[in-house]
Amino acid sequence: MKTFTYTIKDELGIHARPAGMLAKTAKSYDSEITMTKGGKSVVCTRLMSLMGLGVKCGDTVTITVSGSDEDSAAEGIKSFLESNL
Amino acid sequence: MKDKIFGVLQRVGRSFMLPIALLPVAGLFLGIGSSFTNPTTLETYHLTNVIKEGGLLYTILDIMSKTGSVVFDNLALLFAMGVAIGMAKKEKEVAALAGAISYLIMNTAISALITANGGADAMAANSTTSTLGITTLQMGVFGGIIVGLGVAALHNRFYKIQLPQVLSFFGGTRFVPIICSIVYLAVGILMFFIWPVVQTGIAHLGQLVLESGYAGTWIYGIIERALIPFGLHHVFYMPFWQTELGGSMIIDGVTVQGAQNIFFAELASKTTEHFSVSATRFMAGKFPFMIFGLPAAAYAMYRTARPEKKKLVGGLLLSAALTSMLTGITEPLEFTFLFVAPVMYAVHCVLAGLSYMLMHIFNVGVGMTFSGGIIDLTLFGILQGNEKTNWIWIVIVGIFYAFIYYFVFYFMITRFNFKTPGREADSEETKLYTRKDLDARNKSANGQAALTGTDRVSALILKGLGGKSNLSDIDCCATRLRITVEAPELVNDSLLKESGASGVIHKGNGVQIIYGPQVSVVKSNFEDFLDKPESDNADALIGDAPEPADRVNASKENPTKAEALYSHLTGQIVSLENVDDEAFSSKALGDGIAVEPTVGRLCAPCDGKVETVFETGHAINLISKSGCEILLHIGIDTVKLNGRFFETHVSDGQEIRKGDLLISFDPDEIRKAGFRATTPMIICNSDDYSSIDTSASGSVSAGEQILELS
Repeated sequence: MKTFTYTIKDELGIHARPAGMLAKTAKSYDSEITMTKGGKSVVCTRLMSLMGLGVKCGDTVTITVSGSDEDSAAEGIKSFLESNL
Repeated sequence: MKDKIFGVLQRVGRSFMLPIALLPVAGLFLGIGSSFTNPTTLETYHLTNVIKEGGLLYTILDIMSKTGSVVFDNLALLFAMGVAIGMAKKEKEVAALAGAISYLIMNTAISALITANGGADAMAANSTTSTLGITTLQMGVFGGIIVGLGVAALHNRFYKIQLPQVLSFFGGTRFVPIICSIVYLAVGILMFFIWPVVQTGIAHLGQLVLESGYAGTWIYGIIERALIPFGLHHVFYMPFWQTELGGSMIIDGVTVQGAQNIFFAELASKTTEHFSVSATRFMAGKFPFMIFGLPAAAYAMYRTARPEKKKLVGGLLLSAALTSMLTGITEPLEFTFLFVAPVMYAVHCVLAGLSYMLMHIFNVGVGMTFSGGIIDLTLFGILQGNEKTNWIWIVIVGIFYAFIYYFVFYFMITRFNFKTPGREADSEETKLYTRKDLDARNKSANGQAALTGTDRVSALILKGLGGKSNLSDIDCCATRLRITVEAPELVNDSLLKESGASGVIHKGNGVQIIYGPQVSVVKSNFEDFLDKPESDNADALIGDAPEPADRVNASKENPTKAEALYSHLTGQIVSLENVDDEAFSSKALGDGIAVEPTVGRLCAPCDGKVETVFETGHAINLISKSGCEILLHIGIDTVKLNGRFFETHVSDGQEIRKGDLLISFDPDEIRKAGFRATTPMIICNSDDYSSIDTSASGSVSAGEQILELS
């Protein structure tokens, strides 16, 4: 299992478009990827729950990755966040 | 680099297929029409009393002849559009429009310069022509291909362009014809100066080919056949058939360039006494080996097959042989031995080359629309009379060829023990399946599986190509599925062959899978299949175990219930593909439908619960009673409005009923602020449904049914 935190820099936060892209990215890995904010955790492949988390600019989220390809998945999600959010 | 060039050439070659596919029909019209309006033919067959000039029958035949002729006269335009369509990656219809316009603009620019320079008389002799009423440079199909390739390149580069807000109407696909017009205006000016130089060069090269005599014809024939395995033969022969490379001639006062054009101009002319062999030498050689030689080779393969396999192999070889004889499509037959016995193919190339040369020597003047089958022989040889064509030599040489092919193939197969169909070792399956066998196999392997035969074939192809994500481009020519893949190493030949292919060719990122003439059906089925949700699970669908049945049943036992959704707004329905935002139009968020609102009242599309209201009030997530996850997103990019013009009427977790007012907003103010008010309804869990009917269109009122999920 791999865990890291990320602070959102995009001023609009995780709204529909980035949530969709993130869900798509998460779906490309076998590992289960979750995002936690303020004690609430959601599975990143579920677009709806991802949007429901209401992540805004300046929020810090915790990403947890576990599964067969967790190394590459963690890398992939991290670089997605850095380049998009 | 080499692979890349092959990939591009392959796509160019197959993009010729759409306009070329029209030629047999146009040729049929022209062939029948012109044959029976030609005074010589009428006299020969004593028909002068039946078909009289001015009579009904004559007029009908004349119409056929002229309508056939117009296709050949305007091939360049067809190529401009056809190549643009073939090479464009998406939104192909826009490329077609841009191709037509660019072709007109380029030629008109050239025409204006010719006029400015003192008119056509001031240009070099025979260097100008009149197309579509425009006096322009004689560019043949090259003109069309230059337009087609350039337009496709511009199209692929710009069809998704985003322009600044004030100009946004002209963005996206609308920008393509605009930029193409501008570019081809410039190209036209450039061509006026460059093309005469090219013309001189081609004329010299053409002269060289013409003077090369019989040996030249032989070499032409060998190369043409040898390129078949690479699928590049169209690229090779087309310049001979369609440009000055294949000769230039004045017929009825008009300059005609290219072997095929010369033949058809002579066919349309009522004064032709014998067809020019300097032109038909690039065509007539096909008849003897396609009608006689290859079918005899097929018989040799049948005779050498093991007794217990003869029945299976016989049907297969017979259909391939008949295809070759009738239509001149030889690949199904050639590929039965190309892969197992390349040496035999080499012999075939040499013999085919000789056939071209013999036809040249015997002065045979028979042309063709597409290839050398009995249909073309009848129309353009027999019906024209031996006086004009010497077609009888095709039969004489052909019979000779039948014996040569039969004995050479029989000898080589038995002497070198080539594994042609029906001679494989016991463990191997016969490589070509007839469709019936394939379906029978499907049934026994899959039991009650829900997959139909065609879907299983498609699933096999998909898996053989390394899955959906590995596909970059799908197309086909007369006999092969031509695919460009991302990672060639993922391609599995044996799976592709199991799908019914007779062979697979790799070159860089290009993969060609040979099916024979039914390939266009295979392609359509494959594309339909790709649009189905099942195709995401291609692996599971083709296992031998009852696994596929399980999968299908599983999704049936535990489905998210079928559900109808009702319009969230009053306005005009917009299909999701046409929403001006990649995130929605690409369906990355899920499938669905959008409404361009006239009234700013967003209503619940079903009974259910509010999952999340976005703080900015521009979007809302709902979950229906049966578990459908719905995103309603008012406007495009409206998150940037940060709540302006939106008022929410519900809160998170609230139960809602169909038709309840969720959010009110002001569509006009949103538009004034520079945003689009198009409001998509997205099914976030689209994957849970096997079908989502998004076919609704036109205007809609809030509360009318708009989507159907099952």
